[in-house]
Amino acid sequence: MKRNIEIGLLHSLSGDYVALAMVARAGILRGVAEVNADPTLDVGFSVVERDPEGRLDRYAPLCRDMLQNAGVRHIFGCITSSSRKEVIPELERFHGALWYSTPYEGFEANEHVAYMHSCPNQHLLPLVEFAMPRFGTGVCLVGSNYIWGWEIAQIAREKISAMGGQVLSDRYLPIGDTGLAQILTEIQSLQPDFIINSLIGESSYSFLAQLAKMRAEAGNAEMLPVLSCNFTEGEISAAGAGADGMYAAGPFFEASADGHGSIAEMSRLAVHELAGYLNANPGAEMLPLTDLIALVAKQGRALRLDSENQHASQPVVIAQLRAGKFEEILRLPALAADPYWTRRDRSSLPLPNLRVVS
Amino acid sequence: MTRIRTDNLGEAKAFVLHRPHPSMQPLLRQLHVIGLDVHEAWPELPAEAVMADFVFYDADMAHEEQFPWKPGASPMPLIALIGSEAPGRLRWAMTMGAHAQLLKPVSDKGVYAALLVARSNFDRTNEAAAHITDLEARLSARQTIVQAVMIFVLRGKSQAEAYELLRQTAMAWRVSIEEAAQRLVANHSSEKVSDDSKRVDLP
Repeated sequence: MKRNIEIGLLHSLSGDYVALAMVARAGILRGVAEVNADPTLDVGFSVVERDPEGRLDRYAPLCRDMLQNAGVRHIFGCITSSSRKEVIPELERFHGALWYSTPYEGFEANEHVAYMHSCPNQHLLPLVEFAMPRFGTGVCLVGSNYIWGWEIAQIAREKISAMGGQVLSDRYLPIGDTGLAQILTEIQSLQPDFIINSLIGESSYSFLAQLAKMRAEAGNAEMLPVLSCNFTEGEISAAGAGADGMYAAGPFFEASADGHGSIAEMSRLAVHELAGYLNANPGAEMLPLTDLIALVAKQGRALRLDSENQHASQPVVIAQLRAGKFEEILRLPALAADPYWTRRDRSSLPLPNLRVVS
Repeated sequence: MTRIRTDNLGEAKAFVLHRPHPSMQPLLRQLHVIGLDVHEAWPELPAEAVMADFVFYDADMAHEEQFPWKPGASPMPLIALIGSEAPGRLRWAMTMGAHAQLLKPVSDKGVYAALLVARSNFDRTNEAAAHITDLEARLSARQTIVQAVMIFVLRGKSQAEAYELLRQTAMAWRVSIEEAAQRLVANHSSEKVSDDSKRVDLP
């Protein structure tokens, strides 16, 4: 007999980033269905769902409602860093845990959060290390004007200069804005060896399309290669053919063209991770997340989460979008997260030993 | 310009001067997570603490005899752990020279910010102190130059001639104008004491 545990689902069913939220939600629900169908696990999940509608102010009250009134301890949700920061005080007050499965900019390690996707040493840094020897040292940075764009640029700048490269320009665009003329003119005249694109949504799709046009006009499909740490499979159809050729880094890329990608996969795995912790540990669902992790670690079970910083260890995959499908170019073995980027020497990659698949 | 450096925090050494208390656990945990080498100390900071990259200290119960340096003269960034916000305790915490602060009970929030802010303030304070020392030296040198010029003026030179003489003297001695002025003034005052003292050999 399975014991039933109620878990929370806190994703926006409407709003600016609904596409990513729906992908994450589908991954969670798939994970729940798989756990419930697995006879080897003594736990099953039922889902309590709240919809913040993409409105930042709704996250904290809805999170509190689930923790206080619905008897939920573990919540799966949040796409943006700002929404995660909104719910953390509620998690602290009511002893909840958030299972967060979106790539983020790092510089956080809260005891109430399980960081199940990746942070810059698992996406951005390997991507720069891959790109500099291959494309050259002159780089343009473009990003959406909020914390993700700023911090990715800050880390990229430090990494690029440490590797002897040069940041030629560093530009930001308001979220949703597609007024890219100035940025594109600048890129045209600077002719960088590659571009790191941290734009999100429509800005990003428009940017990619116009770069593709510039390449077509110049008759050079190889020029101005674009790299991204936040572009996932879920956006391929929205971005259209303009995105073709771009390089992306992440822990997982879907083999089939219609796949949901890493956010769905990490959301699904997060549900399995919790089920694995709770299996054969009756009552463990009431433990604070740190104690639960410590218990499972003591039992010698395999954990994806680091018991100190509570970030998942992740393989690093670099893939190129070719004809609407991500093709794996390079894969590095699972790498521990370094959210504060303080293990710099240890996290640098042994470049000559890379296995290149192309 | 204020700079925030994110480098070199890995393996940085931090001392936490606070009596052992469960409320310190989140701070110690977060410092470990960030990647620092953390040492607890109470009641005394050991002498090796002078080599630390950061020192956190209890603003409630600590006192200056616990520190191996004078108040305000820490050789590293200091972060005050503030519980009581009473003005007397805060004044003491500031006298010790806090470069940043954290409020007790400390959570994981604010620790990384306190490290970077403390280091930035520490760097800025040191740069400002070095700048002030340099300016003071130059300011007092200006007075000496005026005195040296006056010596020549008293011997009947015009002001322009006196400046030119000072410049030539400095060139002949291969020293800065400030240095030459200082020597001239020193010799001049010893001349006044005894007439047969050695004279400055003017070019």
